[in-house]
Amino acid sequence: MFIGTEKLTHTYMPGTPFATEALDEVSFSLKRGEFALIIGPSGSGKSTLVQHLNGLLRPTSGRVFFEGQEISSDKRGLLHLRRRIGLVFQMPEEQFFSESVYAEVAFAPHNLGLDESEIKNRVKDALGKVGLNAEQLQDRHPFQLSAGQKRLVAVAAVLSLNPEVLILDEPTAGLDPAGRRNLFDLLAMLNRDSGLTVIISTHHLDEVAALADRIIVLQHGRLVLEGVAKEILTRRQQLDDLGLALPAVTEILHGLAERGLPVRTDIFTLAGARAEINKLKGRREL
Amino acid sequence: MSSSITLGQYLPGTSPIHQLNPRLKIFTLFLMLVLLFSLKTFGGLIGLFFIAITLIASAKVPFRYFLRGLRPILYIFIFTLVIYLFFTKGGIVLLRIGFITVESEGVREGFFVIIRLITLVLFSLLVTLTTTPLSLTNAMGHFLKPLRYIGLPTEEVAMIMAIALRFIPTLMEESQRLMRAQVSRGADFESGSIFRKAKSLVPLIVPLFISAFRRADELALAMEARGYRIGAKRTRMYEDVIAPGDWVAIAFVLALLATVLAFSL
Amino acid sequence: MFSRPEIIIEARDLAYTYYSGEDADSSPALSGINLAVYRGEYVALIGPNGSGKTTLLKLFNALLAPTDGEVRVEGISTVEEENIPRIRRTCGMIFQNPDNQLVATTVEEDIAFGLENLALPSAEIRQKVGDVARLLGLEDLLQQPPHLLSGGEKQRVAIAGVLAMQPGCILMDEPTSMLDPAGRRDVIDTVCELNRNRGIAVVHVTHFPEEAVFAGRVIVLNQGRLIRQGPPEEVLTDLSLLHDLGLQGPAAVELAALLREDGFSLQPQLLHRRELVNSLCSLERKS
Repeated sequence: MFIGTEKLTHTYMPGTPFATEALDEVSFSLKRGEFALIIGPSGSGKSTLVQHLNGLLRPTSGRVFFEGQEISSDKRGLLHLRRRIGLVFQMPEEQFFSESVYAEVAFAPHNLGLDESEIKNRVKDALGKVGLNAEQLQDRHPFQLSAGQKRLVAVAAVLSLNPEVLILDEPTAGLDPAGRRNLFDLLAMLNRDSGLTVIISTHHLDEVAALADRIIVLQHGRLVLEGVAKEILTRRQQLDDLGLALPAVTEILHGLAERGLPVRTDIFTLAGARAEINKLKGRREL
Repeated sequence: MSSSITLGQYLPGTSPIHQLNPRLKIFTLFLMLVLLFSLKTFGGLIGLFFIAITLIASAKVPFRYFLRGLRPILYIFIFTLVIYLFFTKGGIVLLRIGFITVESEGVREGFFVIIRLITLVLFSLLVTLTTTPLSLTNAMGHFLKPLRYIGLPTEEVAMIMAIALRFIPTLMEESQRLMRAQVSRGADFESGSIFRKAKSLVPLIVPLFISAFRRADELALAMEARGYRIGAKRTRMYEDVIAPGDWVAIAFVLALLATVLAFSL
Repeated sequence: MFSRPEIIIEARDLAYTYYSGEDADSSPALSGINLAVYRGEYVALIGPNGSGKTTLLKLFNALLAPTDGEVRVEGISTVEEENIPRIRRTCGMIFQNPDNQLVATTVEEDIAFGLENLALPSAEIRQKVGDVARLLGLEDLLQQPPHLLSGGEKQRVAIAGVLAMQPGCILMDEPTSMLDPAGRRDVIDTVCELNRNRGIAVVHVTHFPEEAVFAGRVIVLNQGRLIRQGPPEEVLTDLSLLHDLGLQGPAAVELAALLREDGFSLQPQLLHRRELVNSLCSLERKS
């Protein structure tokens, strides 16, 4: 497997009366270049799981793999790992501490010990990847940017590591609908064009369901569903029981299917739903 | 969350000690402090030590929490004992190595001091393990109320303390998350010179401060929206009551005090 | 019912400009706002970022005083200092960040916070807290510290705290934007029920169009001005308006618009998913 876990278990504060098991024997595996979603209600262990994938948390038992090998536990190994697996936390703009966008995005390559000219390239590159103009923005103070721009800069600040895997924890929390769409489209593009393996932990399926290859579903720290995205997204009752909402257009298609209309329900975009419903028209005059 | 924060942390329970009035517990703790430092005889000290042990048993808090609480000051105990053993002279010479001697007075005083310290810590832990932090701050706030007459904003200070307590776990989680986030960007907080380590803390401290100010702003607004006004009269949902158990405790403490004074312990 | 509904909040020629320190150039956050919120109403307030929605809410509960014009709550002006406690009791507010509005170390003490500020007797406070906790199903959480609650639970605690004050109106500033779908449902259900069964007015600022469909009236702000108001089936189906402002309509509305372009004859003010499903099904049946 390219990246994944095997019977990963994580207990917070073991041995105390406050011990909580956040993950219970979670096993999954992803291939290079896949676009995966980790979904589940809040408290299901999503954040804990993603923090294991780049070695921030150590398993209580079980193993985490990258490129077929168990990830190392020594400092140098982990530093090396984090160059290749980037993790963007929730509300990442809250990590800002620099006075310029440039400094913020340069922080990561600087920590890697790269030289100035390489850092410059990385910053320009990373900002470009998130659709921002480096020249225009890099000298501005991060707090002067709009909410959407701040979020993009924060993602660029991890992309400047040039990772092979990008993991994002609730990347669209707090963004308005336009900002959400923009970010997901960007990630889809990076996945398609540069083969970046993308893993998103979210409970916001609306804009991203259509983009995923694989979906992993967690509940109470256990992996309850896992497989090809399109297939998982047809398990409407199960997802509903877990408190997860399918995209609104998919719900509409389900509503039609329940009433006997011959429409597919594995469609998750507005354009797709439109096309699907139009097929009904093809059959007779409406 | 670090598991080593058992020092002073509250453990929920329903023992008689848990239910005692918090103000009484603080006042009694203060009294024990005074008693401990005015005891003269070893017998009296051992007596108080055993009283502490008995109270701990009746509080139904596992003893390991008290051991954990004593652990950080273990070095102080050892250090103090060593000082007394080797530098306090008097009584019979027990040991001689070259020109260094250990004499019986040294042993006696050394053990007296550390047993006193241990007993003091045990009483303190007993209070903090059986009383919620908020009750403690409110009780202390109550004792500081007279300072209001010299212009100190005791009510507001009490509110500040309560809010600080409320946000300590939240801020701890936040700083942990922040540290991990910066580590994910390649930050290294452990290696290098003192200078380098200090510099590496900037990506931690700046965002935490900014976040703290923003929280304070939002919280202040929310408090205002819920009718909080500085200087206005407020009541409390739970007011400290004196229950029968408290009277028993008071009687017991008075008896103790009387015994110590009567027998010049 | 022939009596005119009673007004609970009224804004007349309301304007507000944030003081930025320098003269000139600070454009008003709100200008020329005239509107009324009626008792028992559920109003959704939508608009792009920076349109003044949050500012308007803060003017309603006297967190801000108007730069121009006036706001009256139950007929009382929000400018008079001595009115403020009563106004803030009548208009309770729920904020976007669930964490930064919970003050106390336990749920029950937090619910009590507003009542403590009113200096009510302890016994009365305890009773009201118990009543509200039972009403909102929070009895099991009463001794919990806030940091152990989920986002949805925190918001429900905040609602409980506001409800304990027996408000006439609940003002909510994007209360669900930081919650997961289950938490969002809990909060919306709770507030809808309070509105329906207890007649508490609600002003709900949201950028989820799906949340605005439940309102009795939708108000649209843009750049500090009130540009449209009306029932959701009129406002949320006006896609040219919404799209101009960079907003999206509810999914059913957007899909219906596309299908109409394709020749499906759907009723013009279609708002809910089930309406779309029903219409498509009956079209299918007819042919």
